[in-house]
Amino acid sequence: MGRLLYIEWLKLKNYRTFWILGILYLISIFAVNYIGYRIQEEVYREEATKGMAQMVLGPKPWSFPLVWHTAAWITSWLLYFPGLMMIILMSNEFTFKTHRQNIIDGWSRHQYIMVKFVYGILAAVLSTVMMFLTALFFGFIHDSDFSTDNMHYILFFFVVAVTYTMAALLISLFIKRGALAIGLFFIYGLVIENLLAGLMNYYLKNAGRYLPLESADNLLMPFPFAEAAQKQITQPYNHTLLFIFAIGYLLAYFYFSYKRWRTADL
Amino acid sequence: MAILTVENLYKNYGPIQALKGVSFSVPEGSVFGILGPNGSGKTTLLGIIMDILRPTSGSFKLFDEIPNENHRKRIGTLLETPNFYHYLNAEQNLRIAAEIKGRGKEDIERVLHVVDLYNRRKSRFSTYSLGMKQRLALASCMLGDPKVLVFDEPTNGLDPVGIADTRELIKRLHKEGKTIIMASHLLDEVEKVCTHVAILQKGTLLAHGHVDEILVNEDIVEVGAADLQQLQAVLNSYPRATHLKQDGQFIEVFLPAGTANLEEINRYCFEKGATLNHLRLRKKSLETKFFELTQNNN
Repeated sequence: MGRLLYIEWLKLKNYRTFWILGILYLISIFAVNYIGYRIQEEVYREEATKGMAQMVLGPKPWSFPLVWHTAAWITSWLLYFPGLMMIILMSNEFTFKTHRQNIIDGWSRHQYIMVKFVYGILAAVLSTVMMFLTALFFGFIHDSDFSTDNMHYILFFFVVAVTYTMAALLISLFIKRGALAIGLFFIYGLVIENLLAGLMNYYLKNAGRYLPLESADNLLMPFPFAEAAQKQITQPYNHTLLFIFAIGYLLAYFYFSYKRWRTADL
Repeated sequence: MAILTVENLYKNYGPIQALKGVSFSVPEGSVFGILGPNGSGKTTLLGIIMDILRPTSGSFKLFDEIPNENHRKRIGTLLETPNFYHYLNAEQNLRIAAEIKGRGKEDIERVLHVVDLYNRRKSRFSTYSLGMKQRLALASCMLGDPKVLVFDEPTNGLDPVGIADTRELIKRLHKEGKTIIMASHLLDEVEKVCTHVAILQKGTLLAHGHVDEILVNEDIVEVGAADLQQLQAVLNSYPRATHLKQDGQFIEVFLPAGTANLEEINRYCFEKGATLNHLRLRKKSLETKFFELTQNNN
């Protein structure tokens, strides 16, 4: 595997688009948290509203131990980007027909798809590490006491991240044209699934929470502001069941990607 | 040893049958031409052998073994178009190919010299002309000096000099003892460099074997005389001829391969009172043969 990854590294090393997007993405993880942090400071600053904010919103979201959850939730909105990069890298191979050439030159189909899986997982690991460091940073500048409570949200975040990269890979394997794959990925994730989830939640007793991307996203719900108020109006989330669903979908993404790659004409 | 053995290969794309039970084998050390018009299934056939297409049924062997990726590492292949990363330069692209094949980078310089791209090695692939791309693909095939090379339309996009160079290259590789499998729709190309040929048409293998066997199974003698009608009458009784054909100002006499004897024909005509003003032995060209084979099947 080390050798395979080294070859992938040779492909990436001089690919400028990848580096620009990748670095901007990592900076964005910090940036969105910083935006949230500034809003928080604004809201909680005034002596007059301090008590109010505390009462309505609860403790500050960017302080320990809430920050693990807050950073995970807000950063998860950026996870379309590693997905986008997966699609770009895969559809590049289709455009250049290098996916064929790699196999002609002596990779097995198994090796080819495995290294893409590892790619997606590495992107998720990197995102998680960056999110972790960001959470740590804001937790500490806040002078709150370090706490490991809520750290399971880091694992949840990782599951969400792998879900996005693997769903993106699956889409790009079936839809070889990059622009179309990217469009469908975003429209499905941002519109179609939310619409379906809304309808299913309303008519089918919250079944929409278990749709493919939703079941991962909902691991980070309810979002960590005004949780008390949210609990008044929504059914509690069953995190154990969501986790099982999320892992089930992930296994399905791996299975169908693998099967597709092993049996299709390339 | 057979380099490649294809057994009863079928490939369907939906309702379209691209290969209909193709079987043949490629002996070691041959230059094996797969000849056929566009859309006859050449690339499909090579694609299956390279594991980028799945056969509908049938099987094949490489080096007399069940094929796997390690066999492909020992074969230099150019399939259809040069496939490289557009944003990398020649050297970086060859580096990736060399790593996949399990060769070191020391061979890269050599192959760049062979195809005369060394001076452009630092230019990005996207800046290359079609001919340069094709040459880079040939260079990539030669990485690690493989014993077997597979070329699909190797002279595609090359100018006349490039075409001649490529032919020389193929001949030289053949002399070095390499086996070359080459698909082409250009008869001329196959005729000039191949030792063996398989003729494909609409997914069916029409004929295959040694070039001499496939291409020359008849001798043709062109004869001419002032009085063609008289000459025809005389030749009608010539016992060795299988049939005659009038072709413009000459008559073509068809004889079984290797039986044409010009002196005897000359004497025979003269004795029967026809004086020849033209006499020439012609081996059947591949082109005639090719058209004949493909047209019979339409």
